[in-house]
Amino acid sequence: MTTGEMNIELKDIRFHYGKITALDGVDLTLGEGACGLLGPNGAGKSTLLRILLGFLNPAQGEGRVLGYDIRKDQFLIRRSVGYMPEDDCLIPGMDAVTFTAYFGELSGMPRQEAMKRAHDVLFYVGLGESRYRLLETYSAGMKQRLKLAQALVHDPKLLFLDEPTSNLDPQGRREILDLIKDISSKKNIQVLVSSHILTDIEDTCSHVVILNKGKVAAQGELEALKEIQFSLYELRTKGETGGFLKTLKEKGCRIEETEDELMKIYMPADLFRTEIFRTAALENVQIRYFIKSRTSLEDLFAETVGVD
Amino acid sequence: MPIAERGYAHWEGTFVERRFPWWPITRLGIRLAFKRKFFKPVFAVSLGPAVFFLAGIYMSERIEDFQFMFRGRSGNRLLGVDPAYFKTYFTFETTLFLMVMLMVLAGASLICDDLKFNSLQLYFSRPLRKRDYWLGKMATVSFFLLIVTLVPGLLFILFKIIFSGSFKLLADYPWLPISVIGYSLLVTLFFSFYTLLVSSLSKNRRYVSILIFLIYIFSDVFFGIFYGIFHDSSFCLLSIKCNIQQVGAFLFRVNPQYDVPWIYSFLVLAAICSLSGFVLKKKIRGVEVIK
Amino acid sequence: MTAVIRTQSLSKWYGNVLGLSDVSLEIEPGITGLLGPNGAGKSTFLKLITGQIKPSIGTVSILGEPIWNNVRTFARLGFCPEQDSFYEDMTGWEFLTRLLSLHGFSAAEIGDRAERALRFVELAKDKDRLIRGYSRGMRQRIKVAQAVAHDPQIIILDEPLNGLDPLGKRKVIRLIKEFKESGKTVIVSSHVLPEIEALTRSIVLLHQGKILAQGDIHYIRDLIDKHPHKISVMCSDTRRLAARLVGEPSIRNIQFGPGPETIVFETRDRDVIFGLLPRLVVDAAIDVEEITSPDDNLQAVFDYLTGK
Repeated sequence: MTTGEMNIELKDIRFHYGKITALDGVDLTLGEGACGLLGPNGAGKSTLLRILLGFLNPAQGEGRVLGYDIRKDQFLIRRSVGYMPEDDCLIPGMDAVTFTAYFGELSGMPRQEAMKRAHDVLFYVGLGESRYRLLETYSAGMKQRLKLAQALVHDPKLLFLDEPTSNLDPQGRREILDLIKDISSKKNIQVLVSSHILTDIEDTCSHVVILNKGKVAAQGELEALKEIQFSLYELRTKGETGGFLKTLKEKGCRIEETEDELMKIYMPADLFRTEIFRTAALENVQIRYFIKSRTSLEDLFAETVGVD
Repeated sequence: MPIAERGYAHWEGTFVERRFPWWPITRLGIRLAFKRKFFKPVFAVSLGPAVFFLAGIYMSERIEDFQFMFRGRSGNRLLGVDPAYFKTYFTFETTLFLMVMLMVLAGASLICDDLKFNSLQLYFSRPLRKRDYWLGKMATVSFFLLIVTLVPGLLFILFKIIFSGSFKLLADYPWLPISVIGYSLLVTLFFSFYTLLVSSLSKNRRYVSILIFLIYIFSDVFFGIFYGIFHDSSFCLLSIKCNIQQVGAFLFRVNPQYDVPWIYSFLVLAAICSLSGFVLKKKIRGVEVIK
Repeated sequence: MTAVIRTQSLSKWYGNVLGLSDVSLEIEPGITGLLGPNGAGKSTFLKLITGQIKPSIGTVSILGEPIWNNVRTFARLGFCPEQDSFYEDMTGWEFLTRLLSLHGFSAAEIGDRAERALRFVELAKDKDRLIRGYSRGMRQRIKVAQAVAHDPQIIILDEPLNGLDPLGKRKVIRLIKEFKESGKTVIVSSHVLPEIEALTRSIVLLHQGKILAQGDIHYIRDLIDKHPHKISVMCSDTRRLAARLVGEPSIRNIQFGPGPETIVFETRDRDVIFGLLPRLVVDAAIDVEEITSPDDNLQAVFDYLTGK
């Protein structure tokens, strides 16, 4: 694949289930980096994933995944794609190594290679110690990692993760998120995460695609979409703020105090932010939290999808 | 490089194009069957009739040695190895019953576990055709059934020739090997379709196991009931066992037990196979990857 | 503030499997977050305080009275369980009214309360649809509706945001905050720590059947001696800032990165450091872009206390 070629390119994809329009003209291009797929329930996420995995033929439109045509080369797509489903899935009576190697084989790996790779991948996801145990004895966190292992065994170039942290306790969530970050930092693996937990997406993804009612409502780099306001800052302080606020107002700032003791300061164009610190130093106020204000992913979602 | 890189590594191998993409599925099915409780003893017992009949072939050659067991000429007729002998083995109640046991132990979980544990998503996110999935599962059941039908059938022919020292059997009945193969394939195919059909009806393996048994047994019971009321032997079409026996009788050129054309029995069996194909197609498609 | 729920040496065993051991706490009005790893005893705890099971040792009292078989107190409790199991053939309306009738309200009152509860969870227009046809989010909301329809004083929600899309989550969070505003006591149990943080600062952390920590998140964080507070500063000249602070005795550790413009300090005395920082930054003409406390959150508290 030459540079500049996108991993996923979709043009005007449409799909209906009988009378229901699931996808109504989806245009999508995704390059490297982890991408989050968001949308309300019923927005068309599952249908889109099915088309990307080469299961459904779109009624209209065309596209390429990893350079392969989504109508003609569906098998080739599935060979290079790993899918981690949301539901628990296992085959009773098997242990993790047999399970992972089995699915590696079904992806087209030679038997011995699949076995070797299964061991490597199980160590990577943290199941090394328990890889010979029967799957029925696995805890929720282990089952989740097993799903990730079978998605990775054939070294896919594109990885779909559907609600990867569902049913995990805080420790398990952190571990899976760390794994996702590690995988997406490697070259040559594109990760697509579908999740309702926005903090997870913010933590792991650099791009997002928001689907709504069968169309792409927003797509792009997370930082760019979140609209950083260059002269609006959020602060938390400690100490007597009376004089601090008065001085800032005199310098032309507009100040808002929100709930939870957060302060928002709108700076006039000609004022440097160092002035905030100068004023704080003069008035003996500690600044314990200081960031450029940006819309949260939650707000972006609500704006894009339209709050009912 | 003195220290190897840890963490995720890419795989540098190449994919293979298998001639039989469904083979790993069958291999796994066979392996899991052997792990099932009671499978090994039942499997051993299911080979019993074959051994018994094989011994019969041996005895039929050395009839003089065993004359003490029989009185008069009835011995000759009893152990005459002719197509009827084959038909008897193949449609023997016990043989069929043991085959059903094998289907229950090896085949009940084939589709139903995949439905229950959501593994269909994992299969079909691979470059695997639905046809290959189905073939792999069919081959698991067929493997065991063929061991109880085709293999003994061919062995009988072989051993008869060896023991009698002549090809008289083949000379008299040249179509015999074809019948053996034909019948084995028919019964194996039918029972494989049947097993997969029942296995796809429920997510509970125990329930499926019971159903495989009961449908088989009750089809015969219903025949008995209707026959008892109406005295019409065409009700034998209700019974799976009888249908198999009818077709077996035809293939081995033996007089069928019931006065019903064998072709009807064949059609009943074929109808069940079609039903199986239809239901399976629906079930597998319905769980296509993402809900 | 008087305690609404009070437990004394509460313990529960199932045979020789430990559920909960020696839990003594008081829960006051407002929102309390209940968290812990899998197997920590959260479900046992919730079952004990809702009177579903009897303690092996210890007492539970709600609003001053013991809970066991106390019908009067049951009427003042609302419980929204984690499991998703309903009478699928009922409509939302039937489900709610039948449960309400168990409280002994008059027919008119039942209708009234059901209407209000459905409006509260925004399911009023779907009340005559069968529950079988409800989406995941709707099912979750009808669960909340049944927990509040009888106007309980205490509402207990186990994983209330599970399966909801981001908009649904917003709705339920809003509802929970409304409860708090009306003076009720709410206990929310969840594995998704950022979601608990969005609701409350008051938590109970269970671990291996015992209380590991209870109280305000930031207060607890302060008490974790083993891990000094981290302060992350993004600025134009990290080296100069480091040079200025390295001589300060209350700085325990300085780390550069991630990224060329970030520096992380560790200190046990944030007052001193935050007190110095504004003056220092202004004098050294360093342009500060961001100041944050990366480990002053619930995930960090959880990780540090459960020993990761």
